[in-house]
Amino acid sequence: MEIKYGLISSDSHGQLGKDAYTSRMSRAKWGDRIPHVIEIRDEKFQFPVERWTVNGEIQGGNVCNCPTAMEKRSYYPQRWEEVPLEVYDPVNRLKALDRDRVDAEVLFPNGPGGTFFYGDAEFELACVRAYNDALAEFRQVSDRFIPLSAIPFMSSIEIIVAEVERAVKAGHNGINMLGDPSVAAKGLKNLSDPFWYPLWEACQQLGVGVHLHASAGLAGKLSLPQWKGYTRRQSHCVSTLRNFCTATQIISYLIFSGVLDRFPRLNWVFAETGLGWVSSVLEACDHEWEKRHLWTEGILTRPSALFRRQVYVDFWFETVGIQLRDYIGVDNMLWESDFPHITSTYPNSWNAVEHSLAGVPAEDREKVLFRNAARLYKLN
Amino acid sequence: MELKYGLISADDHVQEHPEVWTLRMSKQKWGDRIPHIERQPDGNDLWVMGGQKIKSSGLAAAGGVLSDRTQEPKRWEDVPPMVYNARERLKAMDANGVDYSVLYPTIAGLAAETFGKLDDPDLELACVQAYNDWLIEEWATVSPRLVPQCIVPIWPMEHAVAEIRRAVARGHKGVIYPASPMELRDVPHINEPVYDPLWATCEDLGVPLCFHSGASPKIQLQPGASFSPAVAAAFGGVVRSVSSIAVVANFLFSRVLYRFPKLKVVFAESSLGWGAYEIEYADYQSDADGLQSEGYPLKPSELFQRQCYFTCWYDRRSLKVRRYLGTANILWATNFPLATSTWPNSRQHIELSFGDIPEDEKRQMLWGNAARLYSL
Repeated sequence: MEIKYGLISSDSHGQLGKDAYTSRMSRAKWGDRIPHVIEIRDEKFQFPVERWTVNGEIQGGNVCNCPTAMEKRSYYPQRWEEVPLEVYDPVNRLKALDRDRVDAEVLFPNGPGGTFFYGDAEFELACVRAYNDALAEFRQVSDRFIPLSAIPFMSSIEIIVAEVERAVKAGHNGINMLGDPSVAAKGLKNLSDPFWYPLWEACQQLGVGVHLHASAGLAGKLSLPQWKGYTRRQSHCVSTLRNFCTATQIISYLIFSGVLDRFPRLNWVFAETGLGWVSSVLEACDHEWEKRHLWTEGILTRPSALFRRQVYVDFWFETVGIQLRDYIGVDNMLWESDFPHITSTYPNSWNAVEHSLAGVPAEDREKVLFRNAARLYKLN
Repeated sequence: MELKYGLISADDHVQEHPEVWTLRMSKQKWGDRIPHIERQPDGNDLWVMGGQKIKSSGLAAAGGVLSDRTQEPKRWEDVPPMVYNARERLKAMDANGVDYSVLYPTIAGLAAETFGKLDDPDLELACVQAYNDWLIEEWATVSPRLVPQCIVPIWPMEHAVAEIRRAVARGHKGVIYPASPMELRDVPHINEPVYDPLWATCEDLGVPLCFHSGASPKIQLQPGASFSPAVAAAFGGVVRSVSSIAVVANFLFSRVLYRFPKLKVVFAESSLGWGAYEIEYADYQSDADGLQSEGYPLKPSELFQRQCYFTCWYDRRSLKVRRYLGTANILWATNFPLATSTWPNSRQHIELSFGDIPEDEKRQMLWGNAARLYSL
């Protein structure tokens, strides 16, 4: 892949087209359970609105989460015809990348696509396969797209591994994991459980990283009860702000689980979590490791060294973490735009970049803006 | 105030001894519901109330003063007196070169959450009052270097307010309240206006309101089944501190600070690094979400700097980004006697942490801010 602008977004959201699932899943077998867009009435709007429905359950308060791609920023489309092609059509989406002067982007899900927990492993697997096939088409259009595979969590580990291998073959370049599957859904195992070892082994072999996005499925489960008195804006502020509380804990969990030493070539990427907190969490882990002599307890490698060897973290607006980069690890930092979500730097990402990186030497700049990502995703 | 060493620790813990409650609560009225220690069949001691183990802690938290920090005492006779006896504590402070120590509980909960879980408000009040009286009678009267902070019955508000007034009149200098009372028992969300008397009373009396980390175990990820006890404890230490991220996020947007502009709030055992990031993030996100349009006259960072404090104990790197929090908003601590404490080598830790910081800023963080906040 050619680096033209010198900027790679390690966290963007790829929207699938409205027919992505209906054209790939058996109508005879799944009927109306297939993810698709339907028209409904919503008392908040004068006109009939459209929503995604999965397994007969209506999703969210819009038909596509893409406010920064809209002419009026902060407007969430209510009907599919309002959704810009640049959000879900790969050929047109390249234009949005050029407008923002971004070379490539890692694609996390948008709309239905993260998890499909409806109490039915076979249905989940069918949805995951359709999702992975549809998202792989982005990569088939251009190597500027870096898709991440969804996981059929409720299946056996053999089926999970087979699906990831299939997805990577089709062009995926990583997997999108939950921070603690056992908290996110009943019956699943936590990250340290040996159940997952074959998946970590497969990802290590395939050379693709494990990705956790924002709260990684733990929002609302691992948090203060949200106050009902908040307005929508306040509520959004509070819930986005506290997402990194989850990342701090999952990174500590990984460090103390022994998984990083067991799979020493497997990379873990924490998206939309920011950087500034990382040095204090590593300092806390190192501090506890020293005070409690944890090398006698099977944690042989110093926590901060484990982190630098195998963990990556993303940033977008901040300056705190940039100033602390030598303590975090400048080789472990990735820039992201979060297109097309509300917090995104699009379409003025370079303004945000200059704000964050003012005064940073060229070598470090290039690392965090694209070289680290190019190395991690083997973009050559 | 007399300073010999130039250090005030803004976050330490007292260990409640076996007679804190039994000596002060009516046996006739409360029977075996009074918090007390019972020897178990395996020879270990445990704190119990009404036949139930007090869940929030083991027998004692003294890891920081034991030769093996991965252990906690199992029987009362193994608990070092410096954690529960005021005179011995003063010696431990001298050994570490600390002038004043601001006190938080242990069995009553590191975040003072233990008795909030009781379903009997009268029992809750009786337990709280016994703790508050003990801290005055056996600690504060021994030396002004031991700075007492009261705990509070979380509900009803009349109990909370009356107890704060009573305790402060007896000499308490701070108020510890669990940050997520609605997770302890069925009470309203902390943002509801029914809590206004709590904020108003602290503001009125000029005492800081302290949220210590660990108030909501539900925010904290549980250790994996494969974690050894020492690794699980280390993990618990890290996630207890970061769990305050959610508490701070809620508090920056709840409007309580706007409505009570003279209220001072301490986020104890928080650590600074994530704090600086959270404050920068709060400013950015409130802007992205357009919160100004909903009447937020101050940015979260301005609000924080006007009214809030973080504590630090071993943070080195994070001090480099102290300007995001404000040098006037940082309190140094030793976290004595938890396993995470820098005791007895706090001086060395300070050398490492504060080495290249200008004297005037150093003075502020190591004692000046705390002296002002607690009116010492």
